[in-house]
Amino acid sequence: MRVSLEWLKDFVEIKAEPSEVAARLTMAGLEIEGIESVEGDTVFEVNVTPNRPDCLSILGVAREVAAAFGLKLKLPDTQIKAQIPASDFSVEIDDPKLCRRYTGRLINDIIVGDSPEWIKKRLEKSGLRPVNSIVDITNYMLLEFGHPLHAFDADKISGRIIRVAKAGKNSKITTLDGADRVLPEDSLLIWDSEGPVAIAGIMGGEGSSVTNSTKNIFLESAYFAPFSIRRTSKELSLRSESSYRFERGTDIEFLESALNRSALMIRDICGGKIHEIVDNYPEKYIPRKIEVRYKKINDLLGTGLRDAEMLEILNRIGIKTEDRGDHFTAYPPVYRSDINKYEDLVEEIARIFGYNNIPARRPKAALSAGILNLKEIRRRKIREAMRKSGFSEVVNYSFMNPADLDILALPENDERKKCIAVMNPLRQEESLMRTTLVPSMINNFLYNLSHGIRNIRLFEIARIFIDKGEQLPSERLRLGGIYFKEEDISIWKDKLPSFFVAKGSLQALFDELKITGLSFVPSVELFLHKGKSADILINGKNIGFMGDLSPDVVGKIGLKIHNPEIVVFELDVDLLMTMLPDRTKYSQIPKYPSIERDISIVMRDDITSGSVLEYIKSCQAELIESVELFDYYKGGNLPQNSKSLGFRIVYRAKDKTLTENEVETLHQSLVQSILVKTGGELRG
Amino acid sequence: MDELLSIRKSFQDEIEAAEDLTGLQQIKIKYTGKKGLLSAKMKSLSSIPPDKRPAFGSAINEVKNFIEDILTQREVLLKGKDKEKRLQSERLDISLPGKFIPFGNGHPIVQILEEIKDIFSSMGFDIEEGPEIELDHYNFEALNIPKDHPARDMQDTFYISDDVVLRTHTSPVQIRVMEKRKPPLQIIAPGKVYRCDADLSHTPMFHQVEGLMVDKDISFSDLKGVLELFIHSLFGKDTPVRFRPSYFPFTEPSAEVDIGCIFCSGKGCRVCKTTGWLEILGSGLVNPKVFEMAGYDPGEYSGFAFGMGVERITMLKYSIDDIRLFYENDLRFLRQF
Repeated sequence: MRVSLEWLKDFVEIKAEPSEVAARLTMAGLEIEGIESVEGDTVFEVNVTPNRPDCLSILGVAREVAAAFGLKLKLPDTQIKAQIPASDFSVEIDDPKLCRRYTGRLINDIIVGDSPEWIKKRLEKSGLRPVNSIVDITNYMLLEFGHPLHAFDADKISGRIIRVAKAGKNSKITTLDGADRVLPEDSLLIWDSEGPVAIAGIMGGEGSSVTNSTKNIFLESAYFAPFSIRRTSKELSLRSESSYRFERGTDIEFLESALNRSALMIRDICGGKIHEIVDNYPEKYIPRKIEVRYKKINDLLGTGLRDAEMLEILNRIGIKTEDRGDHFTAYPPVYRSDINKYEDLVEEIARIFGYNNIPARRPKAALSAGILNLKEIRRRKIREAMRKSGFSEVVNYSFMNPADLDILALPENDERKKCIAVMNPLRQEESLMRTTLVPSMINNFLYNLSHGIRNIRLFEIARIFIDKGEQLPSERLRLGGIYFKEEDISIWKDKLPSFFVAKGSLQALFDELKITGLSFVPSVELFLHKGKSADILINGKNIGFMGDLSPDVVGKIGLKIHNPEIVVFELDVDLLMTMLPDRTKYSQIPKYPSIERDISIVMRDDITSGSVLEYIKSCQAELIESVELFDYYKGGNLPQNSKSLGFRIVYRAKDKTLTENEVETLHQSLVQSILVKTGGELRG
Repeated sequence: MDELLSIRKSFQDEIEAAEDLTGLQQIKIKYTGKKGLLSAKMKSLSSIPPDKRPAFGSAINEVKNFIEDILTQREVLLKGKDKEKRLQSERLDISLPGKFIPFGNGHPIVQILEEIKDIFSSMGFDIEEGPEIELDHYNFEALNIPKDHPARDMQDTFYISDDVVLRTHTSPVQIRVMEKRKPPLQIIAPGKVYRCDADLSHTPMFHQVEGLMVDKDISFSDLKGVLELFIHSLFGKDTPVRFRPSYFPFTEPSAEVDIGCIFCSGKGCRVCKTTGWLEILGSGLVNPKVFEMAGYDPGEYSGFAFGMGVERITMLKYSIDDIRLFYENDLRFLRQF
């Protein structure tokens, strides 16, 4: 809200520099976000929090200035002398819960024209556009007293009656802005004998509006229930300076002064005769009172304020108090609708006393271990392992484009098609919650590729959301990643399929997490390359997949590179975490020496190295400490459709030194059984 | 005797000419081998008159010692030369690069998140989590933000249904934790939050860290103590901190916490809009209404809560001027952290 310093001075004698005023107000809770010089005046940009509707006016800000500087507030005289008897206008209120008070005055024989310069200037400085003298005066009062008023052309009100009632079915109105509006059933309207003439507290109707030819007006000053105004304003997507104030709460008592002051201004500027007030006020306002112990306040603030100091602070901001020994009673003014409970008083005392005057101390809290919890530690381990394999971390929005699911061509019953949709997305591309991280990984890859980066290793740890038919979806933590390298331009070249770079990185991750029982089996994911993909199992349980994107997907994302190897992977981190060993247990370092034997076998190409490895491990498991594949060879002088695998086998006994002879016997029988099993032969 | 002299002389000539170990070996055999020149001289001793033998014998030995010494010296020298030659031939261009896979980089947001978690963890705060898709009840109602409350305007909400939203802040975790655990408790709840807003300084998703401390006799003083310690740990011991009244529906009194502008040291600049201060987090004493809704007795317990935006803190720490950089995931950006 824009507040003119010169206008403030009508209410309080400010001597301080504008910057000092801004600093004091900010530290008292009325944040000054900007200071601007306008034609010799200073305009403050004030950020009024939703709990302080009383500050949405010059008067309200002036009260805060007075309290902050200990100055006296000057209020204008709003008594109307020389008024003529009440008019024949009557006011009916249908539901006093929605309209708790409605006052009005008929003013006859006015001349509508341009406002005087000083009014125009003040409106403009506050960001409002002058219209005509009547509209300007109501706006002026809205700014000055914070109370919205509305002026009807009295001659356009049929039946000399004002009725405040809900819209009901099929009500329509053309508002001041020229829009034809269908009104929600619950919305509160102002009616004359024929139909609606205004949307209460939000905007007047065009039909009853004041124009330059208006002679008589009916001036309204009312109290509308905040929740009702807010709901209607939201439903109609129609907000005004008026609705903004009504929905935050206005002063039900002071509204009469606002009515009177504007009537007086109208008489001064437009001439005319003011009729006596029409005041329909079904249930009078009952002042609030709050009881609170002095000690409670000091306990909550950590201060040592004396009783009298507290009362003095409250009195300064218009809260009357009565001391009652160990506690006191506070009577907040009507305009402070935000003060209802003891905690509200605690806040008032704290902010006027000054937050910076409250001492800082370290709490005497119960001792806590202060260790990062297990989940956090494990997540950090995963991040570290990925980083060590050269993957950089990305963070993406949790959204997904419906088209992403088509690119992946997921089967009809796939869980990842059970998406949560956002009702009001910013863009169609962000209208679903992610059920997989793969689309984000592809997008990150494409972005970097299009910016000339040719070696891309990225990962993300984030939640995915699956609709399981419950009120809230299932949220699971996933690790997603993508690997792409266009060509190896380093001088020490590694020529291997990208699949194995990614696989190696994941193996390093599992190794770091001390996960055993790992196996890679051909993947069932349709968006992956049939021959270059794997589902990842831990002790037989599927925890994710990895593999090259299928040529179909590569085609759909419009990549121009020939036969690119783009490897993606995704793991269920929540599931993974349940598979980690709880604790590391030391096992003895071997006491006896080991003996190594190498074996190279030529066999059919379709026999996987993994199956041979498993077979070897299953033979004489007691004495074979480890088996490692150290050579893989195809082509050359080997027959077609065959390959050579070289294994290094380490023999070791736990309880003795194995002799060369023992190992030789063992090894020869192992070699024989491998040859039988694979149908292969030893490589010469 | 003359012959011995000439042996010695010819040895000296030959050894000078020997350039490698093979040549040296030949010379060695020629002079000191079993069938060498000196052995032959020794054998010829028997043909010399007995009275001259001792003198002649010692003359031979003298020449032999002389030759052997020279041979040894010469061998050491040539071996050294040989080694030198081999090393020369094995020389690498050490200016060639080493082979390594550069480590990947952590996303700056996640790094700062970890830093924040470490600080609070060291102060004894537990880390708690809650759902990102949240019930309206936890996101608003239980935090004292009823349906028609103007405070809902402060947050533009993504809706999943009338009762389910993308959480607009991490504050609902407070309520979920209070429903589960009894005081005393001190927790932080880091995570993603969502608001339907996108411009130069807003992204529809961002990160917050919420904090909550509840016990008997927790006061505003404690809030100041804990948050000052936190800010000094994160931004440095000499960072000025100020607490300023503000409003949040779930705390009262509420405080906005500012730090002295780290760009202009409080003199006033574009970043701090000439105020000299930067808003860093929101905080306050837990509103008794929130305690009541979570099932805590506000007569018995008090506490404070706070919340901060991780993007803002990260931007300040690394002088990043565009929030959207965090979500473009450009490796040229990520590589810097």
